[in-house]
Amino acid sequence: MRADRQPGRLGEGSCRVRRTATLLGGVALLALLLTPATGTATSGLAQQQPGTSPALFARGRELYQQACASCHGPDPAGASVYATVPSLNDVGGAAAVDWTLRTGRMPWKDNKGPAIERGRPRFNEQDIRALTVYVGRTVGDAQLPQVDVARGNVERGRALYAQACAACHGMNGAGAALGGQNIAPSLQNVSPLDVAEATKVGPGVMPPGGGIPDYDFSSAESTQQVNDIAAYVESLKTRPYNRGGAPIGGKGPVPEGFVAWVIGLGALIVAARWIGGRS
Amino acid sequence: MMIERSLKYLDERLGTSSFARGAVRKVFPDHWSFLLGEIALFCLVVLVFTGVFMTFFYTPSAEEVVYDGPYQPLRGQEVSAAYDSVLRLSFEVRAGLLMRQVHHWAALVFVAAIVVHLCRIFFTGAFRRPREVNWLVGIALLALALGEGFTGYSLPDDLLSGIGLRIFYSVTLAIPLVGTWVTFLLFGGEFPAPDIISRLFVLHVMLLPALLIALVVVHIFILVLQKHTQYRARGNTERNVVGKRFWPEQTFKSVSLLLFTTAVLTLLGGLAQINPVWQYGQFRSFDVTSPAQPDWYIGFLDGALRLGPPWDLTLFGFTISEVFWPAILFPGIAFGILTLWPWIERRFTRDRAEHHLLDLPRDAPARTATGVAGLMVFFIMFLEGGNDILGVLLNVPVEVITRILQWSLLIAPVVSWLATFWVCRALKRSEIHPARTSAGVRLRRSPDGGYETTPLEPTSANPE
Amino acid sequence: MEVDDRQREHGPPGRGLTAAQRRAERAAAVAFTVAILSGIGLFVVYFAGGQTQLEGVLFFLAFGGLGVGLGLWAHRLLRAREAVEERHELTSGAAGREAFGDALAAEVGPVLARRSLLVKLLVGAGGALGLALLLPVLSLGPAPGRTLKETPWRRGSRLVDEFGRRITLDSVPEDGFLTVFPEGHEGSADAQALLIHVPEGLLRLPPDRLAAVPQGTHVAYSKICTHAGCPVGLYRATERSLLCPCHQSQFDVLDGAKPFFGPAARPLPQLPLGVDDEGVLVAQGDFYEPVGPAFWDQERR
Repeated sequence: MRADRQPGRLGEGSCRVRRTATLLGGVALLALLLTPATGTATSGLAQQQPGTSPALFARGRELYQQACASCHGPDPAGASVYATVPSLNDVGGAAAVDWTLRTGRMPWKDNKGPAIERGRPRFNEQDIRALTVYVGRTVGDAQLPQVDVARGNVERGRALYAQACAACHGMNGAGAALGGQNIAPSLQNVSPLDVAEATKVGPGVMPPGGGIPDYDFSSAESTQQVNDIAAYVESLKTRPYNRGGAPIGGKGPVPEGFVAWVIGLGALIVAARWIGGRS
Repeated sequence: MMIERSLKYLDERLGTSSFARGAVRKVFPDHWSFLLGEIALFCLVVLVFTGVFMTFFYTPSAEEVVYDGPYQPLRGQEVSAAYDSVLRLSFEVRAGLLMRQVHHWAALVFVAAIVVHLCRIFFTGAFRRPREVNWLVGIALLALALGEGFTGYSLPDDLLSGIGLRIFYSVTLAIPLVGTWVTFLLFGGEFPAPDIISRLFVLHVMLLPALLIALVVVHIFILVLQKHTQYRARGNTERNVVGKRFWPEQTFKSVSLLLFTTAVLTLLGGLAQINPVWQYGQFRSFDVTSPAQPDWYIGFLDGALRLGPPWDLTLFGFTISEVFWPAILFPGIAFGILTLWPWIERRFTRDRAEHHLLDLPRDAPARTATGVAGLMVFFIMFLEGGNDILGVLLNVPVEVITRILQWSLLIAPVVSWLATFWVCRALKRSEIHPARTSAGVRLRRSPDGGYETTPLEPTSANPE
Repeated sequence: MEVDDRQREHGPPGRGLTAAQRRAERAAAVAFTVAILSGIGLFVVYFAGGQTQLEGVLFFLAFGGLGVGLGLWAHRLLRAREAVEERHELTSGAAGREAFGDALAAEVGPVLARRSLLVKLLVGAGGALGLALLLPVLSLGPAPGRTLKETPWRRGSRLVDEFGRRITLDSVPEDGFLTVFPEGHEGSADAQALLIHVPEGLLRLPPDRLAAVPQGTHVAYSKICTHAGCPVGLYRATERSLLCPCHQSQFDVLDGAKPFFGPAARPLPQLPLGVDDEGVLVAQGDFYEPVGPAFWDQERR
């Protein structure tokens, strides 16, 4: 029997070249775009110790009654309205209020996520300060942590981070699931103040003190240690950190394997189909 | 002129010309699915080139040195000489990071290509007589590739791969009877055994590549000796091979595929970061990071361990660890079935004939269904291996994912077996091929404006 | 082997290239030129100091250009001829096998057939030598002995962190935790332990175990997961449970670190603690059970 070559196949190949090239270009573009947004970076606020202005305190109380009392109760130092909502008396004081408000985690959004997610702050800077002053003074914990990342030593910070933070947040700050509804969020886009406040507060299931040995909020040593850790967390944003190219989420071998299959082997199978015969 | 003289020189001493003439005219079938094994082979070529380069820079020693290179967060840290050398290669050697990343991407794609190639062999029945021996060689190559990959990514002695080594240590401990002895002999003592780095190096650079390359040569030799299989088509019989010659057609195509493979791997190696060991930090036995997974091809074992029920057994004062079932028994049985498949199938089909024409998957519904069910089992394990990342992605607690996949493991393979079997049978009866394009028609216009169509004969590239 | 050529060519024979082939030739030329330029670019990048992303892209263009060019050549510019080759018989046939069998038997057969004492001794010698050749394998590592059942913790070992700092009752805030080692063995793989400060009155341990918890609040467990050996470094403070990141085993700190989810089958062994005269936390002995994953003879003394 004679084996025919089909007429009309002459034009197919160049079609296939274009298709192959477009596909390869598309998947390469996709690879570069795979870096996910890790949440909005909050602007680095200068250290604000709450002022003693009575006007600020009053403004804070007014805002609290409007926006917070329906869940947290009319008195921040008293019981909350619902069993699932913690009383503000023992969540970490002013630092907790400042952190949750600045990172947009509070007021509560109708999100179905496993953790209270970062978002855009719903109050402006002045109002956040007012609420911080009000709640902080009412519960008796009005001090905000001081952090100066310029004073931090990134090498010591890395060592401390490995000891205290890496288990949950990942050595590269990518974050991880902690079982149940808990998540250790990504630290690849947070401010030094976030680090200092979260360390003091221990939000969610995070241990207060962040697992740093001998942590004492008011001691100079702990402050320096937090500066060091904040310096390391800052370094997670720098170029040498990702000098190999697109980090693909920074979550390790799982996304890498996905890319190897879909983009690597995928492109090569497309190439094989162009090169070989088809049926 | 020069080429003629060289060929004459060789032929007078080695008799190469007549042998080469036969080789040059050898016919290979032309289908794209026959190129999957070549993709794996070309990944191996890339691995060898980049790997040899890196051996000139790697120090296989666990001796502690103080890091003082350009990666600032690690300066002043005590790290192993191995880790230090990998960091030096990544930050201070020109093209060093490219070589490292290309090598690692090539390893991932290498095993992926082997798996896809294996699936093609399996689902087309290419392992039947006379190719059972080559099937065994292929399975051995898969096992060697897994071993090469695991030993390779453990060489940098970083935190993530060190955690993986610790798990491997625990798995060998769980071997009944001889587990503690095997582990202590393999590692050289209690974990973390410093000797393991140099031993992994010898395995990765000398022993396993020697076996791998030898078996690849055997694999190709048997293929050439027995000639390649081919799909059914007009003109293809069990007694012939229809396709293109080795020279020039297949040579050009293979070289082109080699170049494409290298192109894709170098693009990934340059643009997509992989295994950034400086971020993970050096391995210390009391440090840990999240999430923690192995490279993808070990992921099914990690998933099996996550799925595994917490059942340890103590009989007569001896313990069988809960790790035994998912990490020793399951892979043993799975690989056993895979290895012995040609003979298992023969038990049921009683088919002892020589086969050089390939089945389409629908032609052997039971085989295809079993293959799909098997892939389903592995797929569920791979999913579970990334369950914490999946959980964050889907906003679902990790425990829920685990429970769902535990139940899926019981139900999905059975359901997929039945569904695949039914689909294959239905397709076989209906004679429709989903990917087939029509061979075309010959159109003849008649003088009074009508036309008639006659279908063209199908070719070997477009079989019935 | 017989080979039969069946010629099917692109375009009319002997009349030069068709339009499509000329297009392909131009495209291949462009591809090869891209490859040449990328090659030159690689020289520039390398001698300018190297840059991983640029190197990757340029190599991609170089290899890819060559590959596209050769692929086009293979597809369009070769006279693609389909060829047919006959398969040869793979087997040597019964006659061939018989001849081989005869050859074997002629040379070796008679000696074996006699099954003499000599042959038996040969087999014995081979076996003994073969086993003896395996002996150096035993030099690869020490005997396990009691290594897996003991750690450096002793009665009176002071608790220190990885930097060598001694740990007191105040070192860990309430709901905090810390990785600790025996003094002098900082970083020891099998001694690593977690010191956890739980609020008073929450621990649910049997009385003898509770006695080894200073103030009923400072409890210590082995950090090595009893499933597959990963450090169980994730402490969920408000839930007072530990999570192992490798396979998601979860341990209840208030209940003797018993696993309540995941593949681990045994609780994390507890380390008995006390406080010395200087207020430093000390161990009262080694862990109650062998640490880490299970092995065959772990129940035996």
